[in-house]
Amino acid sequence: MYLGDEQGGGISDSPGDTDVLARVRAGDREAYAVLVRRHAPVAVRTAMLLGAGTDAEDVVQDAFVKAYAGLRGFRDGAPFRPWLLRIVANETRNLHRGAGRRAARERTAWERTLPLLAEGQDDPASVALSRERRAQLVEGLILLSDAHRQVVVCRYLLDLDEAETAVVLGWPRGTVKSRLHRALNQLARIVARETDSATAGPEGGAA
Amino acid sequence: MTSDPAQDALVADLHALGRTVPTVSPAATATITDAVLARLASAPAPAYRPGRSLLARARAAIAGRRRAAAAVVVALLVALLATPPVRAAVADWFGFGGVRVRIDPGPYPSHAPPPPPARVDGDLGNAHAVLGFAPLVPIALGAPNAVEVSADGRLVSLSWTGEPDGMLRLDQWDANLDGLFAKTARGAQFTTVGQDFALWFDSPHEVVLLAPDGTKRTESARLAGHTLIWETSTATLRLEGDLTLERAVQIAESARPWVEPSPS
Repeated sequence: MYLGDEQGGGISDSPGDTDVLARVRAGDREAYAVLVRRHAPVAVRTAMLLGAGTDAEDVVQDAFVKAYAGLRGFRDGAPFRPWLLRIVANETRNLHRGAGRRAARERTAWERTLPLLAEGQDDPASVALSRERRAQLVEGLILLSDAHRQVVVCRYLLDLDEAETAVVLGWPRGTVKSRLHRALNQLARIVARETDSATAGPEGGAA
Repeated sequence: MTSDPAQDALVADLHALGRTVPTVSPAATATITDAVLARLASAPAPAYRPGRSLLARARAAIAGRRRAAAAVVVALLVALLATPPVRAAVADWFGFGGVRVRIDPGPYPSHAPPPPPARVDGDLGNAHAVLGFAPLVPIALGAPNAVEVSADGRLVSLSWTGEPDGMLRLDQWDANLDGLFAKTARGAQFTTVGQDFALWFDSPHEVVLLAPDGTKRTESARLAGHTLIWETSTATLRLEGDLTLERAVQIAESARPWVEPSPS
C-alpha cells in the first residue's frame, strides 16, 4: 500500500514516480504499467470510499487512461498520486451525475459501501474497533454532508495528508482545514447521540 | 492532532475504520494494469488505416467501460486531417462529458478562425424548456447576443460579440449525453473551474458534431481555437474564443443558471 506519510509536494512515499513519469513521457508506454501497479490499490480504495461501490475498479481503469492522456498537463516533479486520485474522485463523481439528484445518488452509493466497512476484515487493525463502533462511525459518516464526508474519507480513512486531500478534492488548503474541523465536530456529536440512544454502547465514553 | 482527547479517539477510530476496507488483490491489480495498457496501446496493424484502427480502439475501450450496457455511441474518431499513420501511432483518446477527444500530434494550422456565432432562433426561456435545465450564462459576459437551440434539442449555443473578448461561443448540453462532440487535438490540459473538472485546449484543433447514432456530421466539422470544456452537476459546457486560460476560467466561474426575468 502507498498510504504514506508523504509531506505535501514531496515524492518520498513513492520513490521513482518522477523517473517513471519521465520514461512514460519519453514514449515508454510500458513504464506506465509500473505506475498503474503501484497506485491501483489506493486508487481503488479511494473510489470505493468516495462512493463508486462495485464500480470502483472500472472507475480506476478509466482514471488511469485519462491520467495518461493528461500527462502533458502534468507539472514536472509534482507528485503523481494526488493528481491521479483527483481524477479518480472526479470519475467517481461522474458516476452519479445524471437525471436524478446527484447528492441523493451519491449517498445511496455510499450506503452500499457500508457493508464493506461494517463487515471489514478482522485484521489486527480492526480488532481494536468493535463491530458496533464501526457501524456507528459508518452511520455517522452517512449523515454528514457530501463535502464533510469526503474530507473525512480522504484525510483519515485514506490517510492522505492535508496537501494531498486539497489536491484530490480540488479545494484550497484552508477549506480542507475548516471543513475537516466542522466535519469532526459534527461526527462527534452524531456518534455521541447514537451512543446515548443506544445506552449500551461498548465504547460509550469515547465521544 | 487536536487538543480534545475525545476527538483524538474519534480520529484514531476513523483511521482504524479505513484500514478495514478490503484491499485489492494482486490479481485485480494485474487485471487493471492489463486493461489500462490495452486501452493505451495503439493498434499498429501491418495494414494500418487510421480510421479503422481508431474506431476499433474506441470500441475496445468502450467495451471496457462501466456503461458498456448503455447504448454508448461509438464516436467516429477518424482524423479529419490526413494524419500520417506513423504519427497517429502515438495518438490517444479519451472521453469527457459527452466530448470524445483524440490526441494527435497534428500538424494543425497555427491559427483558427473565430467561432461561428449562434443563429438567433431561440431565447433562453425556450432553451431552458428544451434542455430540461436552466442554461448557464456567465455573469462576466452578460446577456448573449444570440441563442441557438439545435434542431434535435440536444445542444444550446450562446454567442457574444464585441469587447473585450471578441467573438465568443458557449455550447452546453446535458452532461449525460454520450458522444456529442469529437475533437482531435495536439493535447489537452487538465484544469479546474471552481471545483469542477475542466479541460483546456490551447491550440487550434478539429471539432465535429456527432449525430445520436454516433455518425459524425461532416457539415459541422470545423477548426476551433482556444477552448475550455468543463462539467457541472447538470451540464457540460464548452467555451470557445480568443481567450487565455485565465480569462476562460474567469468567465466559466462566473456562469450561473439563467433565471427567467419577472414580468414587472
